Amino acid sequence: MLNIIVILPFLSAFIMAVVYLSNTKPQRYFFYTLIGVGSPTIITILSLLSAYELLNGAPTIHTTLLTWINIGEFNIDISFMADKLSVVMISFITFIATFIHIYAAGYMKDDEAYGKFFSYFNLFIGSMLLLVLADNPIMMFIGWELVGLSSYLLIGFYHTESQNITAANKAFILNRVGDFGFIMGIALLFVSLEGTGFTFSSIKENISLIPLDTLNLIGIFLFVGAMGKSAQIPLYVWLPDAMAGPTPVSALIHAATMVTAGVYMVARYSFIYEELPDVGLFIAYIGAFSALLAAIIASYQSDIKKILAYSTMSQLGYMFIAVGLGAYSSGIFHVFTHAFFKALLFMGAGGIIIALHHEQNIFKMGGLKKQLKLVYITMFIATLAISGIPPFAGFFSKDAILMTTYASEHYLIWIMATFTAGLTAFYMFRLFFSVFHATPKEPLSVHSLDKSITYPLIVLAFGSATAGFLGVNAAYGGDALINNFLALPDRLTHISHSTEYLLGGLNVLLALSGMLLAYKMFAATANEPIENTFFSKLIINKFYVDEFYVMLIVKPIHLSSHLIANFIDPKIIDGFISIQINTYTKVAVLFSKLQNGQVRYYALYILTGLSLMSCYMIYKLGVI
Amino acid sequence: MSNILTNIIFLPLFIAVILGVLRAPLKLLKVGAFFSSILVLLLVVFVIIDFDPKGNMQLITYLPWIQSAGIFYYIGVDALSLVVLTLIVLLMPPLYLYMYHEKRKGYWYNMMILQTGVTGAVLSLDLMLFYLFWETMLLPIFIMIGMYGSGMHQYNSMKITLMTILGSMSMLFSILYIGYIYFETYGIWSFSLDKLSLLSFNPQTSLWLTAGFLLAFVIKIPLVGFHTWMAPAYGSAPTPAVVIMSSIMAKLGIYGIWRFGFTLFEETLLFYTPFIITIALIGLLYYAIRAVSENNLRRMFAYSSGSHLSLIALGLFVNNIYAWGGSLYFIATHALASAGMFIMIGLTYQRFRTLDINSLGGIAQKAPLFTFFFAFFALSIAGIPGTGGFVAELLIIIGAFKENFILGFLTSFTMLSAMIYIFWMLQRVLFGQPNNSTPFADLNIKETLMLLPLVILLILTGVVPSLFTPYFEPYLTQLLGVAS
Repeated sequence: MLNIIVILPFLSAFIMAVVYLSNTKPQRYFFYTLIGVGSPTIITILSLLSAYELLNGAPTIHTTLLTWINIGEFNIDISFMADKLSVVMISFITFIATFIHIYAAGYMKDDEAYGKFFSYFNLFIGSMLLLVLADNPIMMFIGWELVGLSSYLLIGFYHTESQNITAANKAFILNRVGDFGFIMGIALLFVSLEGTGFTFSSIKENISLIPLDTLNLIGIFLFVGAMGKSAQIPLYVWLPDAMAGPTPVSALIHAATMVTAGVYMVARYSFIYEELPDVGLFIAYIGAFSALLAAIIASYQSDIKKILAYSTMSQLGYMFIAVGLGAYSSGIFHVFTHAFFKALLFMGAGGIIIALHHEQNIFKMGGLKKQLKLVYITMFIATLAISGIPPFAGFFSKDAILMTTYASEHYLIWIMATFTAGLTAFYMFRLFFSVFHATPKEPLSVHSLDKSITYPLIVLAFGSATAGFLGVNAAYGGDALINNFLALPDRLTHISHSTEYLLGGLNVLLALSGMLLAYKMFAATANEPIENTFFSKLIINKFYVDEFYVMLIVKPIHLSSHLIANFIDPKIIDGFISIQINTYTKVAVLFSKLQNGQVRYYALYILTGLSLMSCYMIYKLGVI
Repeated sequence: MSNILTNIIFLPLFIAVILGVLRAPLKLLKVGAFFSSILVLLLVVFVIIDFDPKGNMQLITYLPWIQSAGIFYYIGVDALSLVVLTLIVLLMPPLYLYMYHEKRKGYWYNMMILQTGVTGAVLSLDLMLFYLFWETMLLPIFIMIGMYGSGMHQYNSMKITLMTILGSMSMLFSILYIGYIYFETYGIWSFSLDKLSLLSFNPQTSLWLTAGFLLAFVIKIPLVGFHTWMAPAYGSAPTPAVVIMSSIMAKLGIYGIWRFGFTLFEETLLFYTPFIITIALIGLLYYAIRAVSENNLRRMFAYSSGSHLSLIALGLFVNNIYAWGGSLYFIATHALASAGMFIMIGLTYQRFRTLDINSLGGIAQKAPLFTFFFAFFALSIAGIPGTGGFVAELLIIIGAFKENFILGFLTSFTMLSAMIYIFWMLQRVLFGQPNNSTPFADLNIKETLMLLPLVILLILTGVVPSLFTPYFEPYLTQLLGVAS
């Protein structure tokens, strides 16, 4: 079954690619929709079935497709594993991805390259499933890289605009920088455990064979991969630009696939990270700073998709705080709830963008609550969920994380995380009020939306409202179903129920005040932020990080390239060769001067030669 | 069947001579050349079927040639040469298909002679015989760049010839001196590899002799510092010659070190190892960085080829099964990918009559199929999983980490080196708005069929490497076992 789950999307992607390439005329809408949406639907059913099996107490499922490679001790199979962690992941990934596919069938229906789009889309899902279900780090890495490749293809989907391709390049290259770390981690892990097998279960058994300082390096290198894929400081700059792709792509990247891979990876390697509390703390700090930075930037953006992009980065920061502090289940739980409301937010935003003829600036929208009633209600649920208002999904998962930070006694992280929670409510409602409530500056003409666009919103809104109930803490009368099911090596924290209520109350209070502030500032009239002070200028320009990278990395590479082209190659290396050539030429000129065709010169040479010979005979050989 | 290897080597030359003597018309010449490549391909398939992966040198032919000087016609095949041999015969038919419209007869003759040259060099086990073929393959390249090239082709053709001959001469000197030492020790002349490998040299002599060989191979690869012929030659040469240079001749440099260097001077090479690894690591990034500012597509991929060959050389000098397996695998997969890439570049030139990156662009709008193939080959050069290059790079990285951490760390930069130039190149060549109003036809059926085998092979090597590794893994393990 696992084999089919992974193979099917690749197969459908391949079929669609072949059909598309054999005839690129915009037609066969039905065929592409059938295959493109059909294959995720089937794998969703299969994934839920395998999740059901595990829920009923079945042991971890292993399947092997074929032997990948056998060289020395490097024996790798293409094999898959569904343990509790991965079935939770694939259940919501496939479920949400299917609805994004349905949504995309409506969103992209007039696009000329409809077939190509669905081919890439299925490839994306397939890669993500390979990543999640892999039974060994190598297969995981292959999925990991293919996710990067599919995102490159999809972000650069509108390829006639050169700047979209720039965004795609940026995404791929920064991901590759992460992969550079990731592959070092894997190679080091393999070399340290050479000969003891290389599947997750065998690594877990033998992890104690690795000396701690090597393990530290492995942990850090693997996390560098996660920084790239999950857009954390300092490798996050691709994420906002990745909005260049069609909106369903953004929904897929931010909710179901790609960015969550980093968190999943840390949870998958939790048996390593539980040995490395220092690396864990480092991860948590990176997460906390990323969460805060992204929330600050999001509060000053005006592009609806960019705000959501930064909010993803910020929420991912929370997840890394959780896994860094050893609360792996809480991290995965937040991945789970976040997938619902983030997919919903992006799909809603996509609906708004289409309805307004590709307008993305929230300050040029306004008063849409009447025209787009359904989008309004569903977006409201999602916004409440992401802001952490109970009883919506985001509250329970975020609350669990904030609790962990407090219990871990790293109060700086706790303060940053709590402040970010308030900020989140502020910038999300800033978006919400500006789009739906504020009076528009000029009258807007609003498209009506397709059913395949609006219906998935309802399903996801339901999920956003209720997904949180799967992980309600003991303090709120639940029994943390998802945490118990996942059975990850969570670090235990002790915190009394009364403290929990206090903290929960504080978070809700902060969220509500963020919401109120946003209401006051943006509900009536919403104005675009202006670059009037030093700070607003800094924030609107995203702290000039892009410019900094260009100066630090891109420019030096170009400079050294020109240096090689114009100096080292022609002057030094060829120069060395030219010296020899010139010497030959000079000697040749000298000889040609000697050989000038005049008999008296030749007589002179003969005379010189004879004299030298005589001298040699007389003095050296003693002839006379 | 015993002389099947001889047939494989000389069939193209034989057909070329017959066609030449008969003054065959162009059409017959084309058919003959293509026919010869297919025939050789079939012969090699037979060799592969009968091949015993666990065995040593097989299908040996050992005939006296110039007996008084101890020179034998001594050929044979083992896993190492089989990989390169397979590559040669796989690449020739697509190249002939690519040359389909070529009207200049000399072009076709040269290609056939070239095939005999490279095949012979791969299979010979007598140093003199090897030298003969080594020089034979240079000649057609000299003519093809000089006569059929573009740009400053005559100058560039002289440059590659002189620089490679410098290497060949030093190698010839080493070969003669080794033969002489054998004569001094045993009283007879011999240039057979298996006999010479019994010799032991004094360290000082050995250093010089090794240097003589290495110079030839290092120039051919080329490693940084010996590379200034490369970009001009690739830039001027016609596409089939570029493909042969990048996919086969450069690999022969690696193969030469492997076959002759490691057999004759195992210990002396250890002395050169740090030096070679250093320039290989430098080369990995040096070429990649140089490629960024290159505006000629073909020259850009010349540098790209240099960068990856540096990695292969690096793997060769890390003595463990992963690095060696990776290097050998990379020889094959990089040859396929770069052959595909240079053919795509050739097709671009046929359509646009320019290879200046800044005047290309927007191809994706006009020709989706072309774009797919172009991007596929470019990405497989960048080592995307699912293509063979990824497997090879992964193995080399693991091998380097097994050697030591620092080397592993530096080798991992290969993950980034191709990123630097390939994606920006794709952006400017394929995407955006066209900078060029020339109509651009998509690939036709013939071109697609010519490229499809390469794509399929690259995917197969990437998805199921286990189909291929059993052919060389036991042999490499055995070689390493002997070495340690």
